Amino acid sequence: METNGSRREFLKRTGLASGGLIVGLNFLESCVGEIVQNNTFPNLEPLQVLENGFDSIGAIEITDFLQIRPDGHIFLNLTKYEMGQGVSTGLSSILAEELEADWEKIHVRYIKSSVSESDTTGGSTSTLLHWDLLRRAGAFTKLLLIDAAAKQWTVYKDQCYAENGYVHQHGSNLKLGYGELVGSIVVPKDYRTLFAEVPLKYKSNFKLIGKNLKSKIIPDIVTGKHPFSIDVRLPKMKYAAVLRCPVFKGQLINFDSTEALNISGVEQIVPIKLDTSDNIRDGIAVIANSTWAAFQGKLALKAKWDLGVNAGVEHGKFVADCYKKLTIDEGTETLSIGKFDESEADEFISHSYEFPYQHHACMEPLNATSHFKGDSCEMWVGTQSADKIITNIEKHLGIPKERIKINCHPSGGGFGLRYSSEYALESMVVSKAAGGELVKMCYSREDDIKFDHLNPFELNKHRIGLKNGKPLSWELKSVMANWGGVLGWMYYNIPKLSASQIMVEGFTQVGAWRSVMANAEGFSTECFIDEVAHELNRDPLEFRLSLLPRNAMVDFKHSYKCNISRLRGALELVAKRGHWGKTMSKSSGQGIAVYPYMHGNGYGATVAEVAIVNDMIKVTKVTTAIDCGLVVNPDQVKQQAEGGVVWALSAIFYGGTEYIDGVVERSNFHDNKVLRIDETPEIEVHICQNDEPQPWGVGEVAGPPTYAAVCNAIYAATGKRVRKLPIARTYSQL
Amino acid sequence: MAIIQLTINNEKYEGEFDTNMPLLWALRDAIGLTGTKFGCGIAQCGACTVLLDGKAIRSCGITVQSSIGKDIQTIEGVEDSMYRSLQQAWIEEQVPQCGYCQSGQIMSAIGLIKSNPNPTEKQILDAMSGNICRCGTYPRILKAIKSFIKSNP
Repeated sequence: METNGSRREFLKRTGLASGGLIVGLNFLESCVGEIVQNNTFPNLEPLQVLENGFDSIGAIEITDFLQIRPDGHIFLNLTKYEMGQGVSTGLSSILAEELEADWEKIHVRYIKSSVSESDTTGGSTSTLLHWDLLRRAGAFTKLLLIDAAAKQWTVYKDQCYAENGYVHQHGSNLKLGYGELVGSIVVPKDYRTLFAEVPLKYKSNFKLIGKNLKSKIIPDIVTGKHPFSIDVRLPKMKYAAVLRCPVFKGQLINFDSTEALNISGVEQIVPIKLDTSDNIRDGIAVIANSTWAAFQGKLALKAKWDLGVNAGVEHGKFVADCYKKLTIDEGTETLSIGKFDESEADEFISHSYEFPYQHHACMEPLNATSHFKGDSCEMWVGTQSADKIITNIEKHLGIPKERIKINCHPSGGGFGLRYSSEYALESMVVSKAAGGELVKMCYSREDDIKFDHLNPFELNKHRIGLKNGKPLSWELKSVMANWGGVLGWMYYNIPKLSASQIMVEGFTQVGAWRSVMANAEGFSTECFIDEVAHELNRDPLEFRLSLLPRNAMVDFKHSYKCNISRLRGALELVAKRGHWGKTMSKSSGQGIAVYPYMHGNGYGATVAEVAIVNDMIKVTKVTTAIDCGLVVNPDQVKQQAEGGVVWALSAIFYGGTEYIDGVVERSNFHDNKVLRIDETPEIEVHICQNDEPQPWGVGEVAGPPTYAAVCNAIYAATGKRVRKLPIARTYSQL
Repeated sequence: MAIIQLTINNEKYEGEFDTNMPLLWALRDAIGLTGTKFGCGIAQCGACTVLLDGKAIRSCGITVQSSIGKDIQTIEGVEDSMYRSLQQAWIEEQVPQCGYCQSGQIMSAIGLIKSNPNPTEKQILDAMSGNICRCGTYPRILKAIKSFIKSNP
């Protein structure tokens, strides 16, 4: 039964703007909550009716994520952050599939503000977490449109069907565009049930999912119009640069701004100080009429610092201490399966592997534009965690959450760095210190490198116990700086397992870095298993496969159970496509590796080819196989895999950092090198076929097995084992 | 500071500039052509590449003073030029991921093609090796340039 009353109720809950239909995310998530928990539907606060679609103001705006406008154009307000991983296109296609929308009329908008947990982006989870929600949103909205059309035509609903942005009537030429229908939508009273039980399409009927749909953002990128936060331009906006304490946790004693204030364009110089518990460094902000003037002013500042506890930290000593701890510390046990008596094994093999600190060096330097207005504030920023920015501003500046407005922009890379939110808080602190000026604070590249939240240093010692040449036990002991924790993922069929970790204090702030702990452990585990295979005179592929029983599921207690069939499938596919075992010429070799990425339930395997050419270590080809479940967009999966390979190659050859007296020595792309086009090998990506009911993670899958495949190939080419990254560019220095 | 006229994408821009300011910041902050990106400030990454009298240069490494009287072309002007089809090749090969370096990549590619309309693969790699991409789009950049050259012999 449909009534005007229920329609009003729905409009209150969903908002009707400019005659268009807006479906709110809170509303939809609550519906999903009901499906999952089978609880009573929660009482929802009515959503505001927006006067001007996406351009209106108010914290409630972020909850409105799907809008059909009277002209038939459909806007998806992205609640996942676009940083190049392709959510704009992937998530749009999931929605459009069930909505039976015209793909060309689907557009993405970036969210205005964000307070809910769902707005953090990371861990290769955006697509897998939004899959069900967006399908239901599309299918639900399609049913409302069909109902509206049936009513206009006074026919039964089942005489109508939706296709390509229109509702059609069977057996006639009648059709109504979605835009023509939004004004007459009537919502049934039991819409919660409808949402929960809305029929979804069979995979075999998918028209968009599984196709190489072209990116929604690339046309703007190639014309220079993509709205990065660094490109924000607002009336009365000033530019800011910050001179920060070079050593983490140091403090500002005093400063002299005389020369800086003489620089043309410099308007104001203010110190900033915050609680270091949130990683904000003491600093001095230069406010100017251009970024250039602010940078120049910063260079002219004279500051005196108390460098604090990290001033004496030396990398060499830090690493030596880590190796020492590995020998003498027992560590905290994080995994123990099967009681292991050393006397049961007749042979042990053990090696340690060092994965260094790593810089992000996103192409877009960190930046945020902030306007502190006393009891409220507004920010324009590219971020993987808008909710964390809001929490931090509330905590440090005392502005209530509902009065903090964050305009989220896509960014030039994220790779985990933009999950740390300190730069955003810092820019708001600068705005406040500058007396409420609207300021765009931009890191120089030197700031971006020196004050990076580095991937933590990690040292892994693996030890395997063998009986009659068969693995009986595996132990992993890990020393890591400040962050994360040992994963201890052992997917090979070894009866007795243990893992332990020793946390040490590093010299600076650390954070998420694409693939996170799977980098160090993928590198070490797969280099180690390769060494074991060689020491046992087994073929590295055959040895791995002998320890990967089909149909096994292994629980690492991390998000999802490891599906050994899928892992094995990726390994078998890459071995086939990468022509594992083919004859290689002199001074060249192949390496193989496989690793799961359990945060997103994706699996990656790699065959790398390495050749020594005129003493240079050249990676000549990388073949990767990815199992990411149901594939939404094969070309985007390939993009992500290509990117993961290049990311890992940069880290293999140029990763790490150096510091003296707690100060990062690297400063820009001349000394923090990354892979360039003329060093990039041929990269071939293959996607595993499977029957998974949904998509899984992609973005962080290809990197981890690449490290080990390349290092194992170096061994095959040279007979030298790599147990420490980064490696030299030449064979003679290896 | 001086009143200066610059010619960008065949249009005249007049304003008061610090003549020592790098062209990059004049484009981005003073004029508002933000398609040209800041990446490193020391001519190491190529994100700020523009054409100056037809040659690809890093706009962070040249002052406003040195740009006076020159023909400056930025990414914003490409759509109306004969290199629109290079942008199309970028779309066809689905090159960009985050996209931040791509203005510079495209401008470097135009610079290459202007000076050498039919480059070998080695010449392409050499010319493009000054442009960094952290997303790893290099294989597709190479494909897009090759495909443009093939259809514009």
